[in-house]
Amino acid sequence: MSQRVFITGFGIITSVGNNTAENFQSLVKGRCGYGELSILDTIHRTNLPSCEIKLHDDELKKLTGVGDGRGYTRTTLLGLIALQEAISSAGLTNKEVHSSGLLSATTTGGIREFERHFYDLLDLSKEGPFAQFADTANPGEHCERMADKVGIKGYIATISTACSSSANAIIQGAQLISNNLLDVAICGGSEALSKFTINGFNSLMIVDAEHCRPFDNTRMGLNLGEGAAYIVLESEASLSRRSKTPIAELKGYGNANDAFHQTASSPEGTGALHAMKQALDSANVSPLDIDYINAHGTATENNDLSEGNGIQSLFTEKVPYFSSTKPYTGHTLAAAGSIEAVYCLLGLQHQMIWPNLNFQHQMPELSITPVRKLMENVRLKHILSNSFGFGGNTSSLLLASA
Amino acid sequence: MITMEGKKCYINGIGIISPQRTFDNSEFLPEVRSYDNNILTSVTPDFKAYLSPVQLRRLSRMLRIGMTAATICLNDAGIKVPDGIVTATGYGFLEETEKFLKELLERNEKQLTPTFFMQGTYNALAGLVALSVKCTGYNNTYVSKGFAFENALQDCLLLLNADPGVNLLLGSYDESAAVQYKAGMRENQFKKEPVNSLDIFSNKTDGCIQGEGSAFFDLSGEPSASTWCSVEGIQMIYLPESPDELKETINSFLLKHDVQETNVDLVVSGMSGCKSKDQLLENLERVIFINTPRAYFKHLCGEYCTSTSFGLWLASSILKKQHIPETVKASNHTYPSRIETIFMINHYFNRNYSLILLKRKLEVRS
Repeated sequence: MSQRVFITGFGIITSVGNNTAENFQSLVKGRCGYGELSILDTIHRTNLPSCEIKLHDDELKKLTGVGDGRGYTRTTLLGLIALQEAISSAGLTNKEVHSSGLLSATTTGGIREFERHFYDLLDLSKEGPFAQFADTANPGEHCERMADKVGIKGYIATISTACSSSANAIIQGAQLISNNLLDVAICGGSEALSKFTINGFNSLMIVDAEHCRPFDNTRMGLNLGEGAAYIVLESEASLSRRSKTPIAELKGYGNANDAFHQTASSPEGTGALHAMKQALDSANVSPLDIDYINAHGTATENNDLSEGNGIQSLFTEKVPYFSSTKPYTGHTLAAAGSIEAVYCLLGLQHQMIWPNLNFQHQMPELSITPVRKLMENVRLKHILSNSFGFGGNTSSLLLASA
Repeated sequence: MITMEGKKCYINGIGIISPQRTFDNSEFLPEVRSYDNNILTSVTPDFKAYLSPVQLRRLSRMLRIGMTAATICLNDAGIKVPDGIVTATGYGFLEETEKFLKELLERNEKQLTPTFFMQGTYNALAGLVALSVKCTGYNNTYVSKGFAFENALQDCLLLLNADPGVNLLLGSYDESAAVQYKAGMRENQFKKEPVNSLDIFSNKTDGCIQGEGSAFFDLSGEPSASTWCSVEGIQMIYLPESPDELKETINSFLLKHDVQETNVDLVVSGMSGCKSKDQLLENLERVIFINTPRAYFKHLCGEYCTSTSFGLWLASSILKKQHIPETVKASNHTYPSRIETIFMINHYFNRNYSLILLKRKLEVRS
């Protein structure tokens, strides 16, 4: 049944860059977004530094061209910046955009605006500019608003599976293409920092006040981040119609559930193993052919142990190079899967592997060690990108040079 | 476009908790409950029969409802562990989200407990069901406003297309949360004056009534002894501009699935009771399926993002039980005694439109 699924464009905004070029430079130079919060109003500004995009909403509105942007939440604005770059990088015409699908992921939608105006919004006797954010406690709202702005009508879906959300948006977009229901699917996720998220993760005691250290024995938790990334998936038929050369192929994917605990992963990494194995099997690629894994690597005690064990059990003969890019961007939750997929695509394009910054101490439970220095001129053909989340969700994407 | 021709999807089990008494599959709307404050809430079974003591103590109201609906569905299908779980919601567990937000604001971001945060996550139900039955297979959650349930169903159809032998648990949940009601009032989503729920179609005012529910369906490419009906296809239409655009889409949808307008025995329509937002659907009734009997259902369940799932339960029940309850009959046509094919059309606030085609399970297919 399956049609092949190609990638013809992408767009990204994170705390280390407002577009692809800036993100690439930061990856090469080891520039991180970690620092004190200055845009989000929270009591944790200094004690829980995060990876914040240093642009106010008004500046984001200028970048996206939405005028006064009434009702646009930060999640929508960040998403729109990445979406607009993705569309232009793929060179899609208005007509092609119109018939495309938009599959977007978020964990909180517009909760940042909802929490800011909470008491005003719930007091129906009050009127004011805050009323533009009345429906922002709805995760699907951002996707429809972005679709309306760029003119997408073909297919609309919002996915929320915690920190694996945008990987699942990419997987579903690929499913729609391989079953001939869409020619072009633009998939990814957007996430704005909010008090809700920072306090939620902090109440679970998995946020590190220091810069995060994935796969390091002294790791103490994650840093939160914000950002958005979208990837343009395209069918082979559409490629030839548009005479486009693809950037890469989405060759396989896996989605599984750890079924271990509501907010924790199994120590042996059952879900991670299933997701990666499915990705390999669906692509018909052997573990020996994987050149690099962009790990979920949140730097929580639980994730890195679970994921590390999952990697070790799947790659018994030869463990590929692997690293987590979370120290650059922080954990961007629903957007992490698509942001890291973009980093993998940049790796494929430039034949580079991004280092796992801040790694110093080997975990005694693992025999594998992440890549510590930027690697250039590496022969990269097959890359796995992992995204896991609360609720036991585990997903893995297999990207291959076209 | 090439589609999944010849591929089948059977509904082999259902579990639904709604503002009507629907949790017992041996009955079919034994009584009609009416509401007069524009907010409909669920009629629940005794949870003790479905949940463990730990779950009863720890789970929020909506997680209990969702987990119970999933359990009823699996029991109905005779399945212990499904091969995948896909859930859908518009606003998620908004009561839990509100509790966490209130705590956060009242305590100025200090000394918060994680329970409300954890139980407010949109994929909490899909994760809970997976954990409870130890399902390590496919797991996904859609939160796309009025398309969430449709996206989830579409996802399942694609999975069954690749692997017809599996059983997938498709579920919806949305709650009549006070926060959403107030936010909705600002967006003119709900009626300004109280209306009896059974009068929403004759009342002719703007706004809907708020509804809720959780419905689970066991889907498989293979029929079983417990099959309710088959899902022939689904299509979504985002922001249709005219009845003609809708009509054209419906015609090509029917053509794709090899069904004539005259083969359809019943149209199950998601008319919402909102005078202005129902306009397109009302106009459509004058240009297509003019001679086909209609059934409405939102006076029974209210309006919510995943209300299509209530409609799907209604249509599946009509096909399985070969009976159309009086309360859903919405036109002056003569209603058939044999119902073989049902066409469903739903809309959510005149933005998200969806079409679903269902057929009765035949003992022998020619």
